[in-house]
Amino acid sequence: MVSTAHALALKEAPAEIDPITLQVIRGSFETIAEEMAHMLYRMSFSSIIRESEDLGAGLFDVDFNTLCESESTPMHIGSIPGYLRGIQATLEDGEWFEGDVVVHNHPYHGSSHTPDLAIVVPVFYHGRLVGFAGNTAHHVDIGAATPGLIIDVPDVFAEGMLFAGTKLYRKGQPNNAMWNFIRNNSRAAQQLVSDIEAQVASARLGARRFVELVDKFGEETVFQAAGQLMDYAERMMRQRISEIPDGEYMAEGWLDDDGRNREQRLKVKVTVRVRGDELDVDLTGSADQTPTAYNVPFEGSTKVAAYAAFRKLLLDAYTSDVRVPSNEGSFRPINVIAPLGSIFNPKPPASAEARFTQCNRMIDLIIRALAPVMPDTVIAGSSASISFAAYSGVRPSGDYWVFLEVNEGAYGGRPRSDGPDSIDNLMANTRNNPLEDLAMHIPMICDRYELRDDVPPGAGRFRGGLGVVKAQRVLTEGFITHESERHMEAPWGIFGGTDGAVGKCLIYNSAAPDSSREMHSKFSGLAVNANDTMAYFSPNGGGYGSPLDRPAQKVLEDVLDGFYSAEHASSVYGVVVDLEDETVDIQETARLRARKKKG
Amino acid sequence: MARIGVDVGGTNTDLVLECAKGVFYHKVPTTLKNQSIGVVEGVRSICGLAGIEPAEVDVIVHGTTTATNITIEHNGSETGMLTTRGFRDILHIGRHKRPYNFSLHFSVPRQDQPLVKRRNRIAVSERVLPPTGEVHTALDEQEVREAIKLFRKRGISSITVGFMFAFLNDVHERRAKEIILEEMPDAYVTLSSEVANVMREYERFSTAAMNCYVGPKTAFYLRDLESKLREAGVSSKLRIMQSNGGVSTVESCAAKPIRILMSGPAGGVIGGASEGVMAGVKNVITVDIGGTSADISTIPDGRVKIMNPRDTYVSGHPVLTPMIDLVTIGAGGGSIAYIDEAGAFNVGPRSAGSEPGPACYGRGGVEPTVTDAQIVLGRLDPDLVLGGDLQLDPELSRKAIEEKIAQPLGMSVEEAALGILKIINNNMALAIRSNSVARGIDPRDFSILPFGGAGPLHGVALAEAIAARDVIVPVAPGITAAVGLLKTDLQYEHTEAVIVEINAADDAQLARINDAARILHDRVVAELDDDGIPRDGQQVEMIAECRYHGQGFELRAQMPDGPVTQANKSVIVGSFHDQHQLDYGYSYRDQGVELITLRAIGRASIERLHIPKVRQTDGSSIDRALMFVRKTTFDDGRTLETPRYDRTRLYAGDKVEGPAILVQHDSTTLVPPGYVAETLEYGNTRVHRVGVA
Repeated sequence: MVSTAHALALKEAPAEIDPITLQVIRGSFETIAEEMAHMLYRMSFSSIIRESEDLGAGLFDVDFNTLCESESTPMHIGSIPGYLRGIQATLEDGEWFEGDVVVHNHPYHGSSHTPDLAIVVPVFYHGRLVGFAGNTAHHVDIGAATPGLIIDVPDVFAEGMLFAGTKLYRKGQPNNAMWNFIRNNSRAAQQLVSDIEAQVASARLGARRFVELVDKFGEETVFQAAGQLMDYAERMMRQRISEIPDGEYMAEGWLDDDGRNREQRLKVKVTVRVRGDELDVDLTGSADQTPTAYNVPFEGSTKVAAYAAFRKLLLDAYTSDVRVPSNEGSFRPINVIAPLGSIFNPKPPASAEARFTQCNRMIDLIIRALAPVMPDTVIAGSSASISFAAYSGVRPSGDYWVFLEVNEGAYGGRPRSDGPDSIDNLMANTRNNPLEDLAMHIPMICDRYELRDDVPPGAGRFRGGLGVVKAQRVLTEGFITHESERHMEAPWGIFGGTDGAVGKCLIYNSAAPDSSREMHSKFSGLAVNANDTMAYFSPNGGGYGSPLDRPAQKVLEDVLDGFYSAEHASSVYGVVVDLEDETVDIQETARLRARKKKG
Repeated sequence: MARIGVDVGGTNTDLVLECAKGVFYHKVPTTLKNQSIGVVEGVRSICGLAGIEPAEVDVIVHGTTTATNITIEHNGSETGMLTTRGFRDILHIGRHKRPYNFSLHFSVPRQDQPLVKRRNRIAVSERVLPPTGEVHTALDEQEVREAIKLFRKRGISSITVGFMFAFLNDVHERRAKEIILEEMPDAYVTLSSEVANVMREYERFSTAAMNCYVGPKTAFYLRDLESKLREAGVSSKLRIMQSNGGVSTVESCAAKPIRILMSGPAGGVIGGASEGVMAGVKNVITVDIGGTSADISTIPDGRVKIMNPRDTYVSGHPVLTPMIDLVTIGAGGGSIAYIDEAGAFNVGPRSAGSEPGPACYGRGGVEPTVTDAQIVLGRLDPDLVLGGDLQLDPELSRKAIEEKIAQPLGMSVEEAALGILKIINNNMALAIRSNSVARGIDPRDFSILPFGGAGPLHGVALAEAIAARDVIVPVAPGITAAVGLLKTDLQYEHTEAVIVEINAADDAQLARINDAARILHDRVVAELDDDGIPRDGQQVEMIAECRYHGQGFELRAQMPDGPVTQANKSVIVGSFHDQHQLDYGYSYRDQGVELITLRAIGRASIERLHIPKVRQTDGSSIDRALMFVRKTTFDDGRTLETPRYDRTRLYAGDKVEGPAILVQHDSTTLVPPGYVAETLEYGNTRVHRVGVA
């Protein structure tokens, strides 16, 4: 029952596509991207893809513009065009053939970082290249210097296999030498190969759907619609930027260290320069590039994170009725600047694998910089770090097991609500692993997974979120690499709110939990023994507004819920609670608050 | 012998009654505060309509949104939880993912509307260890008693127990329950191992907590309804539709109300599936269009599919209980059309609901809705809606579309109205696609089965959009969900976690599978026995939920007949590969297959509703059903003189060529030019392209 008359009418390319057809094509694009992502994570084997959903998928035109992209993990969203440009520069054979499948991860050719392999399939329509279907996914192990993750390494060549425009299939035929090479160069080869296969299946599905879409609406209409959707996203972003007063807004903070040179703290400086409906995110003044892997690939990560910051700030998907399509239109008014040779734009052969916490801190600082002019939009300091842990060991069979885990943090207090607790924040948005599933399958067990209530969250009219405590114990000897941040600088309070709490990381043996070692936020390839436990405490978020303005009833609820103590309630919030009756002492509270406001 | 199906919706309570005198349909207003009042009133009046005494009714099957509404309105029971020391906040942390990628001001349902507040989540000492389930730390019974004391002080009597690794060994959970009932005999207790005996702590705890959250109120509602029916002279059995499409007893649903969280939509899907059978069509896609949302379900080969447990969320909380596979999208008669600040034309998901409702209702709604578009295009006759019971003002529809859409976009009111329908139909078509094509199903082999009063207005457009074969319009589209209630079986399910890599399994591991299967079998049989179902009327199906070793998502595989042996275990493995191929278009034949969960489904057929056939055509002209002719605008932009036919006066075999509109009390079927509507033997209708069989 396909209405051919209708389809034909649409195939004449109009100068401007009517808003109805535009909406119809937009919906089709979004469905394709979601279908690609769904297939990828449901089919995959490694927990970082199937549970954490650390992936992205979409369709692209021949100029590498995003036509659609799945709502998966923000770090992947908007990163694939960088890969495509890198592939273009390095493509095997120098040209695309129908049936090709390319793998790519070179950080100096556009990748986000090396473990995020892109799989790209060219889309041909009647024998002509019209676009690309592609996806990215984080792989457990690509044969780097240490299992899973790396930090303290000399250069990019320690990151493992580097692919640049490498064809896994040429004209539909598998490149068996390359598949064998991959199989022999990973500690988790089985997962790596199966997951690449899942990526290939997903990209091919996208290519097939792309052709069906062009068949239905006609090539020119589809690309015209894509162009208009980009213009639409751009218009939306420009409108919102123009609501910010022109000017230069600055904020800076300090990262703990580069994972090797413990005495040297690393500055992050953000200048947001607003001019009409455009702005710069200028990272000039941030630290020089580091000698370890603690650097950020400019194209694939720095820019992507800066764009994401403004999508969160200006196009908030929760508060707005309007959904902005995921394409490059919204990035056009944003100009990202980072001097070559700095931590946000390293020169080869520097390694640039451990790049997440810098990105998250950059976003946190963009929010802080804009606080004076957007008080109802910004939030207090979030944990803005990440805890990325790689646990590994060798099974009796001689095979490695490698497990990657992303631990969450907490948000800062917000203008109308408390900061969410124990949740992936800012740039991160993965799922954690079911603890029971984990313990049934690898020689590890979790001893504790709870809110972090040893120190209070930042106090405020709206309090900061509570971070998390996670204690993971290895049952056999193995290795741990941990990429984290913010052991030294607590998330800030704002507009009278108090600061949150810094993170910490302890290692101890379960036989002697009291004799623990306090770790740096980053460490690489630490050899551990059976029953050694890593306990990670993420930072608590900062508070928003004066704690004296927090309704006393809410303070009571916080105390009952154990978010902080009754003493803290009285000394910081000026609220006196009766723990036995579970009530607020209204008179005492009024007296105390009046005294505090005066003094 | 009389049976009643009663389905409670947001606005109306729909009833169908079958007795020796025939089949009767009825609607009464839903009583939102306590649905039972409307239900009893409806039962009484439909009996009157049929001329029978309430005492003659043998069975009432009920679809209810009571449990669901508790989760939407956040007014469930204050609940206490006992959990393992070190894991107090599993419910608070969830899977630590944000609901939005790009937002700073989002809400997190598990934290903002917790099923159990942190102060009432009490960690106690106990520990069971994987992979065997050995007890490492014994349950500290004194700590349990202390916790109950605190709950008593706080007036809490709904208590859930969720211990880590209880799916391997439930001894501590069971002991905790004994203590709770000793200390507090009236407590409503739910163990995680009772409601979802599977791996994955957050989802299992959330399921148990949800049961305690909705349990006491739902149990009260069901028992109250039962007693009100008794008072009204009805002594029949009362059965409740469950989310899995089977019915169950009041007692069982009062104990496990999580099984009826999707009771309402399930009736619709079952009703739609049965309409497919009546029309002799094997593959259908049901589309139930209401005021605010549309429920879509794909039913291949007449078999209703069950959702992957990874996708079963209720109001933002995971609930591991079998639910019919359906997608719900914000598209309905009340969906609002608007132009956003950057100029895009959107329809829904925001809805005008029934208050204020579409602009044409004249209740103060000024934003144009899908219903207003239907009115402007002459597809819905304002004087005929609900048989004329609801008077609509077409001028208000026109004005709303003109001001909010047509003028800003510089188009005519008709163009704008056509645009509204095109966008909403496309939104629905994409949702259908995600529930069909995205799962390897070819819609060209499927019929669209639209229902809900407005469903048949969209049927042909949806069929075109997804290239479906044709459209089957049910006998009573406005009441299909109630009909579905009389078209299903008793059904109970139980699960056991049995984690075994099948290819490598030794005889001892196979024995574990067989032991678990035996336990499950006995459990479902016991439930069916309790319902008084004779053994020869019981069927038990065993399902192996498997995944490739290392994957995170299970799919359903077949179990061999009889015990699993080294010789026949390949049945499980082979059927898993096939299912993976079907769902993802890919299988890894050389990978190990791991069993994660065994599931037993016990069924007993109960007698199904028999819809009477309508008169066969005698070759007379269909003019007997002609009401009048008015102008109607179709999707190609043409406005044509379009005859209206009274659908109830059409005979089996009658063919109505488009353009035409078929009218009945609570529904309208659109037959565009180039299509023909053929009345089938039960008064149901098949709409297909002229010249296509």
